[in-house]
Amino acid sequence: MMAPFEMSTALTLGFALVFGFLFGLFLERGGMGDPHKLSGIFYLTDFAVPKLMFTAIVVASTGLYLLSDLNLLDLTRVWIIPTFFWPQLVGGLIFGLGFVVSGYCPGTAMAGFGSGRLDALVTMLGITAGSVLFAVMYPVFEGFYLSSDMGAPTLPMLLGVNHWVVVIPVIGVALGLFVFLERWEGRKKNA
Amino acid sequence: MHNRFWSPYVAGAAVGLVLLAIFFVAGRGLGASGALSVAGCMSLNVVSPGFTGSLKYFSQYLDNPSPLMSWNVFMVVGVFLGALTGALFSGNFKIVLDKATSMTTRNRLLTAFAGGILIGWASRLARGCTSGVGLTGGAQLALSGWVFVCAVFVSGFLFAAIFRRYWS
Repeated sequence: MMAPFEMSTALTLGFALVFGFLFGLFLERGGMGDPHKLSGIFYLTDFAVPKLMFTAIVVASTGLYLLSDLNLLDLTRVWIIPTFFWPQLVGGLIFGLGFVVSGYCPGTAMAGFGSGRLDALVTMLGITAGSVLFAVMYPVFEGFYLSSDMGAPTLPMLLGVNHWVVVIPVIGVALGLFVFLERWEGRKKNA
Repeated sequence: MHNRFWSPYVAGAAVGLVLLAIFFVAGRGLGASGALSVAGCMSLNVVSPGFTGSLKYFSQYLDNPSPLMSWNVFMVVGVFLGALTGALFSGNFKIVLDKATSMTTRNRLLTAFAGGILIGWASRLARGCTSGVGLTGGAQLALSGWVFVCAVFVSGFLFAAIFRRYWS
């Protein structure tokens, strides 16, 4: 039997709870429940968001493709996030505005509420209301929502290259970014 | 000054390992916005089942005999409990309406809610948020993840110029 594993519904939900718990714990411990730290990236005053996010992406990405190469994980049975190019691009642009206005995103709002922030609860209520609004408006946007369906391509697939040809530069760019941010913050502290 | 948080690199590596474990064990990903969409659907269904049942987008939840018994919903309950545990054990838990010093309470309630509406609407359009599409898709090297992350940062930097006076 090869990973990922077939599991009963109860076991799957149990894992969702445990993994969610760890995700929330590490988000909070990384300062991701604090809207000042979260929005700091957009005002160039705090870089915890890109540091945490790109470290997580690099670690998970390296592990995913390493486990696949070692035949410990069947990558074809991992649900790759599908691409609907224009809806995801426009969605990301609107999302960025919402992030700046509220100071949270959905997971971090949950982490903020878990650390006692009532404004994070208000943002969660807003996200819930926004989802309902989308469902109500769905008939108008259905055509756009379903447009530019590209399946579930990955960058290595699109470029026709081995996955390490993408993973290694991503690691390189992330490390470069971290070195740059540390130096820049160090200089600002000394100034 | 005592830093209340872990290094973002340590917390990021820990989040990355959690995501890797999810890929390995379940072949799925992280998620946060999906559960709030289910919550919205189920709340509306209590108030007006006829109207909710007529909404095509929500049929994906209502066709399921128990929509709340889902991966996304259980994960989000876990996120809340995990954050609560982290905040309590580190002495970081405080019930507060967090806002920039210059912001009035009324304005903070407005920005928190209005930003949330935009995020909720956009997450449905994009089929996920920073967790489900950004982190998960990004780590998979999925095109979706990188398109979404780039769009969020570009938009965030642009609009921050307008909202600078509120938060900084």
